[in-house]
Amino acid sequence: MVALAVVLTLVVLLMAVLVAGLLRSHADILRSLHELGVGVGDPAAPHDHAAAGAPGAAGSKQVPITMGPPLPGERNSTAAPTVAGVTPDGNALAVSVDGGDRLTLLAFLSSGCATCSGFWKAFRQPDRLGLPADTRLVVVTKGPDMEIPSEVAGQAPPGLPVVMSTEAWGDYEVPGSPFFVLVDGRSGLRIGEGVANHFDQVAELVRRAEADARPFGVGSRSRALAEGLDGPERESANDRELRRAGVLPGDPSLYPNSLDEVYGRSGDDGLPTPARRAG
Amino acid sequence: MTVASLHAHGIDAPLPGGFEGRIFVRGAVGREVPYPVAHFATFPLPADTADFGGGAVNLMGPNDIFAVLFEYGPESLGRALFARQGMPRSLAAGDFRPYLLRRGLGGQSGTQWFFTEAGRPFTVYVVLGSHARRNALVPRVNGLLGSVSISPPAVPSPMPQTASGPGWN
Repeated sequence: MVALAVVLTLVVLLMAVLVAGLLRSHADILRSLHELGVGVGDPAAPHDHAAAGAPGAAGSKQVPITMGPPLPGERNSTAAPTVAGVTPDGNALAVSVDGGDRLTLLAFLSSGCATCSGFWKAFRQPDRLGLPADTRLVVVTKGPDMEIPSEVAGQAPPGLPVVMSTEAWGDYEVPGSPFFVLVDGRSGLRIGEGVANHFDQVAELVRRAEADARPFGVGSRSRALAEGLDGPERESANDRELRRAGVLPGDPSLYPNSLDEVYGRSGDDGLPTPARRAG
Repeated sequence: MTVASLHAHGIDAPLPGGFEGRIFVRGAVGREVPYPVAHFATFPLPADTADFGGGAVNLMGPNDIFAVLFEYGPESLGRALFARQGMPRSLAAGDFRPYLLRRGLGGQSGTQWFFTEAGRPFTVYVVLGSHARRNALVPRVNGLLGSVSISPPAVPSPMPQTASGPGWN
């Protein structure tokens, strides 16, 4: 009986030591999180480490922590430098994305990523991609230092420019693959970027961006705009034009649900077509 | 951000703003031995552009430039056609003529020079989208040509013993 009591006492003591260790470890973690600025609780509450990190405190300095390239929402760079590198067969290739009226869609892909394989496959049928007619598609993989050229060559569709350039991934702050960047040639700036699982999504975004970026064609330019009206006068003039055309307030055509309803759609094969402007 | 640059096959070409390009060697056909070709353009180069711009020059706008640097085989070394040493890097507007085009397209003009540099025989052929705008376009051409450098061949070619007249290329 006495022996049992002694054993139980030892077990209780051992458990107490373990619990105390866990609590101390937990406290250390919380303290570290506060130092990183992501702690739980009240970060403004005074504590020793905050004081140590205050300006002027010796031996401690708070620095921002970044992990990998910034995500699209955290960036403000819109520069679009020329993409230069090598091709999978060892030649050199540079693609300029500024100048002219065209859009350039840069597809940052990898040879090994599972999601990218769908894009590589889709690019083998460029006529069925549904991109606006003046859009140039360029595939950018990382350079031969990070990719195996023969594997990229095996995926590369014939006739499509494929540039292997790790530098371009840095220039365009690509967070991972697949990633798409749309550049407007006239401004030489990025006008869209992001990720997608299917190319239909990308094509829809490109058509949307193309419609937003381009001014109205001469045939569709509103008379009010052409006459230089602005503000309420322009609004009234547009309303008069719409009424003359039989478009009254509440007309369904004023509330399109998709770009297809705005620009029309060639429905034979069910594939989206390049955006078309009236006129 | 750095200036885009092309390096391949012993040709180094930093690209002035607005230019794109490629340096490549075509796959051999039969017993042909292909040599490097460099294309430079201020407009999107089609993938199937022929060596001297076929399929591309017809896409040029009046403000566009197309340039080719085409290497010949070592058998051309020492021939009179390639007697000029060094690539011309400062062309004049007067060097461009509408009738110097390999493919005569209305309004365009071109110039072509044969030379030897770093022990390699080349021709440089430049097309302007508009002969009338040559005074504005030629400085851009010179900005490109002035930055191109050519390295000696990896294995120096022996000089031919005789230098007969220019041959077919």
